[in-house]
Amino acid sequence: MRAPLLRAQLETALGERASSPFTDVETRPWECVPSGIPALDASVGGLPRGAIVEVFGAVSSGKTSLALSMLASRTQSGEVCALVDGTDAFDPESGAAAGIDLSRLLWVRCRNLDQILRSTDLLLQGGGFGAIALDLSDLPQQSIRSVPLSAWFRFQRVIKNTPTVLLMIGREPAAKSAAAVVLRANLRKASWDGLSRAPSHGLLLSQTQLDIEVVRLRHASSRTTLSNKVHHNVRLHSYS
Amino acid sequence: MFACIHIPDTRVAASAQPALLDCASAFSPRVEDTATGIVVLDIEGLDHLFGSIAELAERLQDYTSSLGIIHVGIASNPDAAVFAARGWGGITILKAGTEGARLKELNVALLPLDEDMHATLLRWGIHTFGELARLPSRELAVRLGRQGVHLHKLARGAVSRPLKLRKEALHFEERMELDDALTSLEPLGFILNRLCEVLLLRLRSRGLAALELRLTLKRERPNDPFIVPLRLPVPARNARVISRLFMLSLDAHPPGAAVSEVRLEAIPSKPRIIQNGLFIPLAPEPEQLELTLARIAAIVGKANVGAPELANVYARDRFSMKHFGGSFTPIERRLHGALRMFRPCLEATVRTIDGRPVWIGFSGMHGPVTAASGPWRSGGEWWNARHWQREEWDVEVAGCLLRIWEHTPNLRWFAEGIYD
Repeated sequence: MRAPLLRAQLETALGERASSPFTDVETRPWECVPSGIPALDASVGGLPRGAIVEVFGAVSSGKTSLALSMLASRTQSGEVCALVDGTDAFDPESGAAAGIDLSRLLWVRCRNLDQILRSTDLLLQGGGFGAIALDLSDLPQQSIRSVPLSAWFRFQRVIKNTPTVLLMIGREPAAKSAAAVVLRANLRKASWDGLSRAPSHGLLLSQTQLDIEVVRLRHASSRTTLSNKVHHNVRLHSYS
Repeated sequence: MFACIHIPDTRVAASAQPALLDCASAFSPRVEDTATGIVVLDIEGLDHLFGSIAELAERLQDYTSSLGIIHVGIASNPDAAVFAARGWGGITILKAGTEGARLKELNVALLPLDEDMHATLLRWGIHTFGELARLPSRELAVRLGRQGVHLHKLARGAVSRPLKLRKEALHFEERMELDDALTSLEPLGFILNRLCEVLLLRLRSRGLAALELRLTLKRERPNDPFIVPLRLPVPARNARVISRLFMLSLDAHPPGAAVSEVRLEAIPSKPRIIQNGLFIPLAPEPEQLELTLARIAAIVGKANVGAPELANVYARDRFSMKHFGGSFTPIERRLHGALRMFRPCLEATVRTIDGRPVWIGFSGMHGPVTAASGPWRSGGEWWNARHWQREEWDVEVAGCLLRIWEHTPNLRWFAEGIYD
């Protein structure tokens, strides 16, 4: 009862300045690009251009693998991408193994949140990138939470009419409602090839099985039936 | 027909002269470097390219407007065109046969007179071209000699002569000497912007672009020049971008002393020609990208921005950062897991049973090892200081997948990264 009352009061107060303040004016058709993970594309319809896509999860949840797959997909289609690396944690070997064309990837190695936000701002303003990945995973959650929500909304406004996908990676969702797609990654199982009683050199960490949960999906039509959970296997470093 | 482009402001005329000549060369190959701030060009036949004479004059004025206030004079002979440009402001067109009638009101001081000759004419009461033109030429020749006859012809606008064509010089340099040395970078930015604009205008007028530039700042103390080189990934013509790149470089490495002279040189190149298309993959504009990279480098440091390039060794975490941009080659499509690096590696405490890790603790994380794969031995570069020798393990600890390694010579353990 209270929400409709508040809404009515606000609409009355804003009546002369905004005709319909609570109407969603987001009517543009979304252009989506493949994420590089067919199961995820089948579920969410791809990554929307001009929007924020957020992937979050705990340590070893597979969020970085997902992000690298997405960057690989973009660079392989000939686009230029950027990775704003919050704690200098990117492993170029993993990136190359994931299929990223490293010559098309601009890697910005930051040391603090201020550098991350300023670098991202410059990249978004410069334009021309197919995807910009923002890795906030290893930063203290308290400092990420201290970033005002308006900062993420400003990023969203900057890329709104551009073909850039802003991909955010973290342990917790940061962009909140500024993100068009929010995915939660979760490690279901790690596969150790070989017999369980075999000596350690007889075992091989071969792949991980991930669950990807679709937490938010703004760009899909409400009539479309989409599964909100995707399973995905990620091949890992092999010594064989 | 001939056109004269004239910069009346003597303070900028000398520094703008090379640019003025290059601008004139953009319209006609027949250009004369008449005097400081005065350039004459042959415009015969240019109406097919630029329209009527009035339209051509407007285009000349527009094209050179960045050099300052510009006067344009057009006449049937070079000297009349020069007088038209110097005598009146804006655009002045003297039709053939009307030169004498139009020039008659100009002051004789515009003629090439020495002081004695000027004093003589004033003593005779001759103040204008018209008054000089009305004198009988034979008597004038008797009293003033050949120079008098020449001045008489000039005053009537009747001198016809060929242009002294200038020799082509492909040296692109702009300089500005400063009366007061600059101690801060902000005013230097304005000067640099101005020099870039003029230099790029010169290059543009020849259908060229800048690929490499060199900024030389003459310092008061120490006396040695401060040189800032700038190499662009693609030939550029955008003065704003180039001056901004120089300023970012100077912000990072200031000259360290007052600057008394600024000199900017450019190595020209043919401009980049691209065919845009609907289906060409997305990429940043090279000039804009260069500026963005320079700005990010100012924030995170030059060594921390670029494209990673893997080193051709088996050692882990060996890569170099190369300049981002240039040509791109397609690669094979694969899917692979990612390792998040601890850079530098974190020292760990590891308990082992029969050489196999069973417990690990490092940087706030600890627990029993539930699964382990290894050891994977590697080593190399024993011939230099970067040699390594280690045994790597993939382990699972409390749901986290880690890569750890043991430095075999001294049995110390390190955590290298997390599979994520």
